[in-house]
Amino acid sequence: MRGKIVGKRRKPLQAAEFVIYLFMGLFALVTIYPFWYTVVGSFSDGMDYQGGGVWLFPRIFTTANYSVVFADARLWTAFGTTILRTLAGTFLSLVVTSCTAYGMSRPNLKFRRVLQWLNMFTMFFSGGLIPYVLIINMLGLYNSFWVYVIPSAYSVYNMIIIQNFFKGIPTELHEAAVLDGASEFRIWWNLFIPLSGSVLATVALWCAVGHWNNYMQTMLYTNNPKLITLQYYLMLLIKEANVEFGELGDNITSQVTARTVSFAAIVVASLPILCVYPFVLKHFAGSVMIGSLK
Amino acid sequence: MNKERSLQLNKPKFGGKWTKSDVQVFLMSSVGLLFLIVFSYLPMFGIVLAFKDGDLQLNILNAILRSDWVGLDNFKAFFVDPNFYSVLWNTLGLNILMLLITFPITLIFALLMCEVRHRRYRNALQTVVAFPHFISWTIFAGMFIAMADMSTGILNPILEALGIMDAKNPSNLLEARYFWSEIIICSVIKDTGWSCIIYVAAIGNIDPCLYEAAKLDGANRVQVALKITLPMISSTITVFLLLAISRLLSNSFEQFYAFQNITNLDKSEVIATYVYKMGISNRRYSYTSALGLFNSVVAIVLLAGSNFVSKKLTGRGIL
Repeated sequence: MRGKIVGKRRKPLQAAEFVIYLFMGLFALVTIYPFWYTVVGSFSDGMDYQGGGVWLFPRIFTTANYSVVFADARLWTAFGTTILRTLAGTFLSLVVTSCTAYGMSRPNLKFRRVLQWLNMFTMFFSGGLIPYVLIINMLGLYNSFWVYVIPSAYSVYNMIIIQNFFKGIPTELHEAAVLDGASEFRIWWNLFIPLSGSVLATVALWCAVGHWNNYMQTMLYTNNPKLITLQYYLMLLIKEANVEFGELGDNITSQVTARTVSFAAIVVASLPILCVYPFVLKHFAGSVMIGSLK
Repeated sequence: MNKERSLQLNKPKFGGKWTKSDVQVFLMSSVGLLFLIVFSYLPMFGIVLAFKDGDLQLNILNAILRSDWVGLDNFKAFFVDPNFYSVLWNTLGLNILMLLITFPITLIFALLMCEVRHRRYRNALQTVVAFPHFISWTIFAGMFIAMADMSTGILNPILEALGIMDAKNPSNLLEARYFWSEIIICSVIKDTGWSCIIYVAAIGNIDPCLYEAAKLDGANRVQVALKITLPMISSTITVFLLLAISRLLSNSFEQFYAFQNITNLDKSEVIATYVYKMGISNRRYSYTSALGLFNSVVAIVLLAGSNFVSKKLTGRGIL
C-alpha cells in the first residue's frame, strides 16, 4: 500500500531494498520448499528415494505411489467423510453464526449486555476437555457423524466479525424492509445475507479449512473406521511411515515405500486446499481488517 | 421506529413491553447462546470433577455422580508429581521462548513486507508465505519429519554444507534435544506469513501524510519504521501481545501431537497433549479436570494481569 504513496514511477532499487527483496524471496522459498520436496518425493521411486539425495527432481519418475494411494479404500472413505463434514459443518456454522450475529447487531436487542457478556466469557474460560467429552457422549454424539458438525457450529469470534459487518449495512435498508412488512427473520435471510457475500465467504472459508484440517475430533469422539477423517488417516500413514507398513502392506510393490506413499497421500489431501486458496486470498486482507477492528 | 419505542421505556421489568421485532431479534441471538449453553456452559459444571475422586471410574458420568469429594487433593496430586513439572516446563518454557521469537519476527516481517514496493512481487510473496497456514499440522509435521530424516532428508546435508553439523558424525534431528528448535522453526515457517497480514493491513491504514512529512524532514527508512510505523500500529500490537500472553499455558494439541513420537516425549509433552493422554487414555478424569481448571484460571489471570500492566504503561488494553 505504501507503493501508491511513493508514486507511480518505479524507482530503481536501492541497496537496502535489494537486500529486503532478496531476504523476503528467500523466506518465501523456505516456506514453499517443503511442499516441493513432498511433491518430488511423491513422484519418486520408493527404493531410489530410500538411497537419499532426492531433493529437487525425482531421479526415477513413477506414479506408483499414487496408484497405491488411490487403491486404498480407507483414503476414499476418509475423503468422503471429510468432504461431507466440511460441507455440512460450514453450512450449519454460517446459518447459526450469522443468525446470531444478526440478532446481536440489531439496536433493539433486549438484554444486550448480558448476551454479550455470556458470549465473551466463553472465549476466555472453558470447562476443560473431560467435561466436554462427557457432554458429547451424553448427547449421543459419540461415534456419530454429527459430532463433526454440531459442536463446532457456533463460534463467538466469527459471530463478532459478521456482526460488525451487519452493523455497517445502512439502517435505511432495514427500515424499508420493515415498512414492507418483513419479519426480522426474513430481513436476515433475504436482505442481510445476500448483502454480506464477502464476509460470509471469508468466514465460510475459515470454517471449511478448519473442518478439513481437524483430526483431534476423530481421536476423541469416534472409534468407527467409517468416520475417520482425512487428516487422521494421514497421520496414521505418516506415523506408520516412520516405523513400518501398516495395512497398506498388500499393495506394496518394489517401487514404493511407506514414506513415498505418504507423500502421495499428503499431495492428494492438500489439493482441495490449494484449489480454494485463491478464493481465500481474494477475501482475506479485507476481512482480517474487520476482525482486527473489533 | 425501534428507537422511538426504546425511548418511551422507563426501564420496567424485562426491558418493558416486547414488540414482535424485539422477540424475533432476541430469539435469533439466542440461537448461538443455545450452542454456548450446551457446549460451553454445561461442561463448566463438570469442573466439580476437579474436586472429586473420579479417577479410573467406569466413565466420566460415573466419575461425576458416584465419587467422593476430596477437596484440593487433585491439585496437590499434580503439584507433587515430578512428571507434571517436566510437562509444565515444556509448556511454559517453550511457549515463552516461542513468543519471544515469533512475535518480533512477525512484526519485522510485516515491516519488511511493507518495504516491498513492487506490487506483483509483493502479492506473490504474500500468496506464498501465507499458504502454509491453511495446511494442517499433520501434513506439515509429515513433511518436516521426512526432510529431517537422517539418511533421506535434506536438512542434514544442508546443515553439513553450512558447516553447522559434522558430516562424519551426523546427529538425528528428530531426537528429543532438537524438539524445541524444531517446533519453533516450524511455527515460524507455517504462521509468520499469515500472522503478519494483520500488521500489514494496519500499516496500510496509516495516514500517508505522516510518511510524506517524515520524508521532507529527511528521515531514513529505519527511522520511519521506528518513529512512525511502530507507534501507529502499537494498539494492534498490544492486542495481539496480550492475547498471546494469555495463551502461555495453551498449545495447539494438533500441532504437538503430530510432532510427537516415543523418543521425544521428554521435550514434547505439553499440557494440551498430557491432558489428552491422562484423561482419555488413562481415564484419570479428576486429575485432568483439575489440571484443566488450573490451566483456565492461569490463562485468565495472565490475561487480566497483562491487561492491567498494559493499561498502566500504555493506557491500552483489551478488557
